[in-house]
Amino acid sequence: MLSPIIIGQVIVNGLSLSAIYVLIALGFTLLFGIMRVVNFAHGAFAMLGGYALYYLYGKYALPYPLAVPLAALIVAVLSLVLETLVFRWFYQKMFQSMIGLLGLNMALMFSSVIVWDVYERSIPPAFSGVLRLGGLILAADRLMVIGIAIIALLAFWLFMTKTRYGVAMRATADDVEIAEAQGIDTRTIYRLAFLVAIFMTALAGGLYAQIYALSPFMGERPLIVAFVVVILGGMGSIPGAALGGVILGFTESILSTFYGAAVSSFVSFGVVIALLIFRPWGLLGKPE
Amino acid sequence: MTRTAWKAATIAVALLAGTATTYAQEELKIGAIGSLSGGGTAWGLALQRGVTLAIDEATKAGGLKIGGKTYMPKLVMYDDQYTATGGKTAADRLVNLDKVKYIIGPIGSPPVLASVAVSSPAKVIQLSNGFAPAILKNDAKSPYNFRVMNSNVEFGPAMIKWLHKNYPAIKKVALIAPNDAVGQAVIPTLVEAYKANGIEVWTEMYDRGMKEFTPLLTRMMAQNVDLFDLNSNAPGEAGLLLKQARQAGYQKMIWQVGGPSVDEIINVAGPLADGFLSYETFDFSSPQAQAFDKAYHAKWDGIINAQAPGWYNAAKILFKAMETAGSTDVTAVRDALMKVEGYDSGMYGPVIWGGQADYGVAHQLLLPFWIVEVKNGKSTIRDKLTPEKR
Repeated sequence: MLSPIIIGQVIVNGLSLSAIYVLIALGFTLLFGIMRVVNFAHGAFAMLGGYALYYLYGKYALPYPLAVPLAALIVAVLSLVLETLVFRWFYQKMFQSMIGLLGLNMALMFSSVIVWDVYERSIPPAFSGVLRLGGLILAADRLMVIGIAIIALLAFWLFMTKTRYGVAMRATADDVEIAEAQGIDTRTIYRLAFLVAIFMTALAGGLYAQIYALSPFMGERPLIVAFVVVILGGMGSIPGAALGGVILGFTESILSTFYGAAVSSFVSFGVVIALLIFRPWGLLGKPE
Repeated sequence: MTRTAWKAATIAVALLAGTATTYAQEELKIGAIGSLSGGGTAWGLALQRGVTLAIDEATKAGGLKIGGKTYMPKLVMYDDQYTATGGKTAADRLVNLDKVKYIIGPIGSPPVLASVAVSSPAKVIQLSNGFAPAILKNDAKSPYNFRVMNSNVEFGPAMIKWLHKNYPAIKKVALIAPNDAVGQAVIPTLVEAYKANGIEVWTEMYDRGMKEFTPLLTRMMAQNVDLFDLNSNAPGEAGLLLKQARQAGYQKMIWQVGGPSVDEIINVAGPLADGFLSYETFDFSSPQAQAFDKAYHAKWDGIINAQAPGWYNAAKILFKAMETAGSTDVTAVRDALMKVEGYDSGMYGPVIWGGQADYGVAHQLLLPFWIVEVKNGKSTIRDKLTPEKR
């Protein structure tokens, strides 16, 4: 088992998994970081991102570089209605948000069953080839996800650190009252943060649906992954989400390859439990 | 008589005639359990639609003529969410609340085992489909419980024998299966059948719901297997396993002794599905399939799941047994079910019951099945096989 090719393949698989996991967790951690909302409807927004990409790229054949961000943007803009009707009532109410948004998740999921039925669909791959480097094998669609994850993380970091709105978001996350006293319109900032978070979630959902499969029930796994990644990295921490995604991706790749799926799941969730006991704020989070 | 009086008399006669018709035809509840939400929904819908078509036919023919009475069958169905809890709850409702005497479904070992535990003590006939041998082989000896589609005990050995004959160079097979009642029931049977044909087996289990199999497939490829069997994986997972195996560079043969889920696999894996071989429960290109296809698409759109004809067939056999028994009494219908051998609903040929040697009770319907191969994105028939009656 321990040949250089297998080890190389484990690293490649780990990178590819990390990229998917980081993308999925970004929107989830942002909503918690700014508004203290545990978005249990995260999987449903990812699913809606999948359907949006299915129509724009799969049905209407828009160019892929346009279809991917446009699908996410459409879901994010339309979701502002839900922000007004549902989300804003749960800002800064962590426990209430869990139950309320779990209900929203079910409502969105079963509405989708009515609209699109239950059958799994596939979004045509943008790149279906396989790259061979020596003995290493790289699926082209996974390389694309790694690229998009790096771009998304960079853009996200630049937005949060270099723009006025990003700084205002961080200030609001630190202390709402002081941010308001400094003249920041926190309602607008919340809506903007919501828009950005759902955009990231729908973007990740579109790519996830394209790599795996699209159905109204596809959101369950992204929700679990986001939760695990964010707990590992620290709730609300963007660098934490990146670190959590990389740790989970590589842990799964190494353990599944050398010890099997059962050991991988056992260790991954075991680490999360241990972390919740000894460092509940996560690796890069801040203690309350 | 005035015009008003004529009108009143006409209405009265019409009402009386309507009442008389109602009294002549009794309603006969046919219970059904299937997944109408969650990952197994495609199968639950296949069950619902297959049975509905059989009921529609009976209704169009003026009802079921049983012992001098005419009965109009009516479907009462509940969702089991493809879970044991859902199966038990649905069976409890059908048996205790709706007072049904016959249940069709569910699909999948967990809900079937849970619902049979309710229907058997209540002496309710149940026609189900799940791969676990315990569905028929149990302490109660399945007095009212029948399996109406082949399990891997019926089609597995025949398929693997066919494989060994047609692909003698295959010496090692990989089985990656869900770590639940389905996987744990299926794997031992398949391992035994492969070993009986001199093929070495490597197995690995995963948690159902998993989507990323690349690390597991890297592990599999390190074992130098000649064949990858998708066995009991649900359609979505089977499609992903195939797609990711090809993307990970696995170039040898992939087939599925289970499912069937050929259309779904083509849908998920696209061109990567070419060359895939699978078990198939129905030949949609056959002449008898055309009538079924027409009736189905008169009511619903989309792909017909291959289980739908099987459930139509099961309902037709049940109706035939009721008419043969001349009674709706459960024990009489149960005995009549065993006597309808030779009856042909028009889908699979004559009814054959088997399973005595494997389960201690001959309550297993033996259906012919097909081996198909995906060529240029289409499923094409490679061979037709029949399970051995034991």
